[in-house]
Amino acid sequence: MDQELLTGTFVDLADTMVADFDIIDFLHLLADRSVQLLEVSAAGVVLADPRGQLRLVAASSEAARLLELFQLQDDEGPCLDAIRTGQPVIEPDMDRARQRWPRFAPAALEAGFAAVHAIPMRLREQVIGGLNLFREQPGAFDPADVRVGQALADTATIGLLHERNLRSSEVLSEQLQAALNSRVVIEQAKGKLAERLGVDMDTAFTILRHYARAQNLLLSDLAQAFIDSGPADFLGLTAPALLRPDRP
Amino acid sequence: MPPRGEGAAGGDDISRVARVWGLVAARATSRGGPESAQDVCAVAVASLGVSGAWVLTGGWTGPGFVTCVTDAVSESLAEVQLTLGEGPCPDAVTSGVPVLVAELRADGFGRRWPGFADEALRLGAAAVFALPLRMGAVRVGVLGLYRDTGGALSTFQLGDALILADAATVLLLDAQAGGSAGSPGQAGPAGQSPDLALHRAEIDQATGMLTEQLGVGVGEAFARLRAYAYAQDRRLSDVARDIVGRRLRLGPDPDPPG
Repeated sequence: MDQELLTGTFVDLADTMVADFDIIDFLHLLADRSVQLLEVSAAGVVLADPRGQLRLVAASSEAARLLELFQLQDDEGPCLDAIRTGQPVIEPDMDRARQRWPRFAPAALEAGFAAVHAIPMRLREQVIGGLNLFREQPGAFDPADVRVGQALADTATIGLLHERNLRSSEVLSEQLQAALNSRVVIEQAKGKLAERLGVDMDTAFTILRHYARAQNLLLSDLAQAFIDSGPADFLGLTAPALLRPDRP
Repeated sequence: MPPRGEGAAGGDDISRVARVWGLVAARATSRGGPESAQDVCAVAVASLGVSGAWVLTGGWTGPGFVTCVTDAVSESLAEVQLTLGEGPCPDAVTSGVPVLVAELRADGFGRRWPGFADEALRLGAAAVFALPLRMGAVRVGVLGLYRDTGGALSTFQLGDALILADAATVLLLDAQAGGSAGSPGQAGPAGQSPDLALHRAEIDQATGMLTEQLGVGVGEAFARLRAYAYAQDRRLSDVARDIVGRRLRLGPDPDPPG
């Protein structure tokens, strides 16, 4: 593992947490960095909604096939197992997991993923979600990667709590719903922008994130403002300006 | 003992959501009318171990309305929050996030809501829970619950409360849309209501797309999406997937052929 990247990743994440930050944006950063650091093909953060559903809140890619794969895990899969047991779930060869996960394993293989590592996000006695890592190549996960993966999952948990004092479980429930609600607003904004500009969801999301950073806005605040805005140009910018590749 | 995901998803989420919607539908049937927020409140009391429930619609900048209550104490709790503009319900509306107060007597709530806390305790409320009625940017009001004894909602109860809040949101949106296309709020085609509550990203994305396609606000876009699925007798998530996949448009084509 690249030691500089490892240090840099945690410095960046900690840096983000000392100021006001957007939880969805933060979790996306964490998912992106997980992919780089742990040399996996895709990563996703899932939260356990008390309604009885696993909800994907951030992934390293907005590609439909990845999102579908996560949504499939409501009934079975590594993520669900990790959340239920509170223990990491590692499957180095998806082809051998067809009995373990009769629906999920074929779907994962179809999507191009041959190995998975699902890490529970734990807070005291509760498991609130999971960080899920997928690899295109089968094979074992390095023990060092497994440890760093747990640290990243713990960082995601801490980020979710942010500035709230965890005096009661109510705070955790409220924060969880806040993150889930933010994600819905962002999905709605993605749809509106994708339709307006004629781009795919991945591109629309990238534009929203970049614009929020450039304008020093919280991602979810921007998403809400965009949804509330009328049919005129997107908050003063024209379509060509938004699609300029030189944006930071 | 390793931590457990209590109330975590899996296997029975569809039946869980269907169960809650089923309770609302059964309540409506016994009343002899279509499902409404009133039914949601009644089910909340019957199944969440709370003493009363109410729904407020509208905001606090303009007039807010008490849409329904289950009892006199709930009515008073609802009214005092509207009058004072203070309390768990106004906070839940402002923040868009549930406000869960297990022990109203404890921990500075008297400082946070001086007028409300006093009055609520006087009325006999020991715990109060406020759940915003929203679907992302679509916001229609708040569901309030109180209990005459202190204590948090269990994870399972909170989950059911959130499902009930979702149900109230959809029913209120349908009512706002004027019950077009055959009142989708009613227990419609098998799987329509439970399917809705399985928060799929494509449903949210399709809603956003429809604001552009139809040139309407996000609340109406969602109502039109549901109405279309109902009229076509299709699952909401399937229709949403087609819209996101650009196989289906509900609005005028931006590049008409010819």
